[in-house]
Amino acid sequence: MSPYKSIRIREEGDTLVVCVGGYLNSLLGEEVEKVVRAKLDDGGRRILLNFQGTRLVNSIGISFVIGVVEKVMELEGRMAFCEVSRINRDLFRVTGLAKYVRSFETEKEALDYLSGNA
Amino acid sequence: MGYLRLFGTMGAEASFREEDFFGREEELSALTRAALEGSRGIGSSFMIYGPPNIGKTSLLLKLAKVLGTSADGEGLPRPFPLYFSFSQILSHPLALSQHFLQEFLLQLLRFLGDARPSAFDPAAMCDRLASFGVTGCREILAAHERCTAEGDGLSALVNALSFPFSASGELFYPVFLFDDFQYTGKLQGVPDGAMLSILRPYIKSGHFPMFLSGSSPGRVTAALKREGLFGTFQMIEVGGLSTDSSVRLWGHLCERRRVDIPASLLPRASERIGGIPAYQRMLVEEIFFRSAKVPDAVTLENLYAVSVTEGKLNRYWREFFENTFPDRARRGRAIRFLKRVLCDRFPLDTVEGAISLMGASEEEGESILSALEFKGLLKADLDQLAFVGDPVLADFLYWAFERGVLGKGTSQVAAAIVQARLSRTAPEPGQGGDHARRVAIVKELMRKWDLREVPLLLLDFGKFREKFGGKGLLEVVIGMEREAVRVRLPKVSSVSTGYRASRGGPRFDFDLVAYGFLDADFSEENLVLWAVDAAVEKNLGTRVVEHFENRCRLLALEKGLPHDRLRKWMIINETADPAAVDLASRYGIHLSHPTQLRLFLNLFGLEELEREPEPASSPAAESPRIGKTLEYELVLPIKADSEVVAARVAEEVAAVAAVDADTVDRIKMAIIEACINAFEHSASESGKVRLRYLLSPDKIELFVQDDGKGFRAGKTPEESKKNRGWGLKLIRELVDDVEIITGPDGTVVHMVQQIGAVPANPGPLQQGEGGPASPGER
Repeated sequence: MSPYKSIRIREEGDTLVVCVGGYLNSLLGEEVEKVVRAKLDDGGRRILLNFQGTRLVNSIGISFVIGVVEKVMELEGRMAFCEVSRINRDLFRVTGLAKYVRSFETEKEALDYLSGNA
Repeated sequence: MGYLRLFGTMGAEASFREEDFFGREEELSALTRAALEGSRGIGSSFMIYGPPNIGKTSLLLKLAKVLGTSADGEGLPRPFPLYFSFSQILSHPLALSQHFLQEFLLQLLRFLGDARPSAFDPAAMCDRLASFGVTGCREILAAHERCTAEGDGLSALVNALSFPFSASGELFYPVFLFDDFQYTGKLQGVPDGAMLSILRPYIKSGHFPMFLSGSSPGRVTAALKREGLFGTFQMIEVGGLSTDSSVRLWGHLCERRRVDIPASLLPRASERIGGIPAYQRMLVEEIFFRSAKVPDAVTLENLYAVSVTEGKLNRYWREFFENTFPDRARRGRAIRFLKRVLCDRFPLDTVEGAISLMGASEEEGESILSALEFKGLLKADLDQLAFVGDPVLADFLYWAFERGVLGKGTSQVAAAIVQARLSRTAPEPGQGGDHARRVAIVKELMRKWDLREVPLLLLDFGKFREKFGGKGLLEVVIGMEREAVRVRLPKVSSVSTGYRASRGGPRFDFDLVAYGFLDADFSEENLVLWAVDAAVEKNLGTRVVEHFENRCRLLALEKGLPHDRLRKWMIINETADPAAVDLASRYGIHLSHPTQLRLFLNLFGLEELEREPEPASSPAAESPRIGKTLEYELVLPIKADSEVVAARVAEEVAAVAAVDADTVDRIKMAIIEACINAFEHSASESGKVRLRYLLSPDKIELFVQDDGKGFRAGKTPEESKKNRGWGLKLIRELVDDVEIITGPDGTVVHMVQQIGAVPANPGPLQQGEGGPASPGER
């Protein structure tokens, strides 16, 4: 088990909030993919990834996030990111993720957007 | 009524040997001069004080000898030195007066040239004296007998002490050498200070020089002040001998006992026991009785420690405390109290503080202090206390404390004493976290040893430097792997951190002691100990090596280890003197430079341990200077998440250059990508990726090298499917310049990030589509 893996999930209304902490590498990416997939299988369609606690990211981790995004879009769900640090925003932009998923400064803004208020 | 010579007074004066008297020339000449001036009625009085055992009695007796043989000018009276000790058992004034009388008569007869008187018959002695021209003794004696018969102690005492006043004249004058004078304050039924009142006429006359000696100057001077006599006394404090005198005394004592101590050790030995002649004598006796050979300082220290924990020095102080404090509980309290003050250097100078430190009731505390003052272990002046700093006493107290409180064995305490004293100038233990961290790293490393075979070069800095001096880490690693001479490490069963107590300064424990077994056989014959120290000082000198070796020998002694079963290992902090390296090699001490240690860590896959707070220990890794390039190297095992270590190191390197947070993030991400690419694609055989960080004033350069087949710039079909293969693209976006060099020995990714005075440029990434997030840094 990687010492850098840390993930917390909770429900906000019908939105699954996934807090990604530590080092977003392949293991953590896999974990994110797993919890989101479980939610989708349960019929959930709203996913928020909170990157507040993400200290490091690597390309493999990002590739898992891309996989998650593709899955959500495939099922016509809604997805958002929040609290993305500047460097991670840059990385998401380079990898094209930013084209598909909107990033918000705070979790509340993101939740409002997902619940259709924005 | 019979007169007995009391054995209790046959102490120091009976064992005095004039030939053992060395030094103190100054005191002696001052006292002799003062005594001789008594012939002209201008003699003066002295108060001689000092700690117990320091040699006050010897000084008085030597003075007596000098005066006894002095031939003063014709026609003037000769000085008659009368030595008298007010010892403990003469506490009744009658006994004291009788004893004084008989001593006076005896010594006077001898002084006048009588052969040894056959019997103690005072009347006969008085008659003998008359034949020498000393008349009138009979009358005084008769008066004394009347007082005694009536049981009037005080009168008898006055009578006896006034004897010399009457029984002198043209021929001679008495010079009083009163020893252990503090006991006069403890006479039964005689008020404190009465003795001085009786002696006052002598003191005031100038014809009877008086030398009072005692270990309780506070008490005696207080009495002198009360009697208005303080101004007429001069104080002389007796301390240890000068080194020169003390060395001469060693020579004399050793010759007498045919004990051989190398001359080079003597000054140190003198300093060791405070130049106190009595201790020198006891130590030489100890060596003699043990028929010990003393080839070097360590042996001498061992013998000293044995003496202080179970030999003569121990017996001396044990009896001292048993006599001073017959009550066991009180004795224990006094010892613990003194231990705190003298060994632990607890600062204390008031009576109140002393009593509260003892945790005793005021009454008990005062009685303990009073006993200590009486015995001269402390000086009390009003409410101020000063303690006697006696090195042997301090070690005795340590022994008594450890034995009493912790129940430690004698050999353990002896070893601790020797270790504490071996080198007064040994380095203080490092306080910094850096030292503790290095120790923790080595500890972790040793836990992983398990009979592995490692190149001997890792444990031999001399050869290592010879072979690899000035070479890059990569070359070193390759050279190491080809190194044929290997050493098999033991199976370590426990590694304990030394407790590094510091008693009076120098450290006497090891940073680590590991217990291991050769060949995985857990038997006594296969037991092997590793003693490890991580040097605190930046440059390892011979003194530190010497000190380490000394402690190792003690450890071997303590554990009864054969020579080859104690392995000695020192970790250098930064650099080492060639002389220190040579010395270590002569002593068989393994020596490892931080670079070797890193290679060790690498070998055991423990590099993560090194991540804080400095990335590496390249000699250049000092404070950054403009215009200078700093180089850091790191070897990573190919292992999940070890790229995080590389990122951490990058962060530290960037911190040295005070780079802005955003640039730091870019560098970290770039190096992570380069590392995981190397891990994934290199198919490395060594299982390692090597990194180099070059920090110049205007840029940071990063090199990530693997020894595999090459970097895959494109995506493999599988990667495309899984949205992977972003690595190189990301790196290109993150840093200013990337270059990939693939050669026969592997692939190097060379990345360059410009830094400099201007904060990092926004980078090649374009400001993207405006999401709601603002570009704030985290």
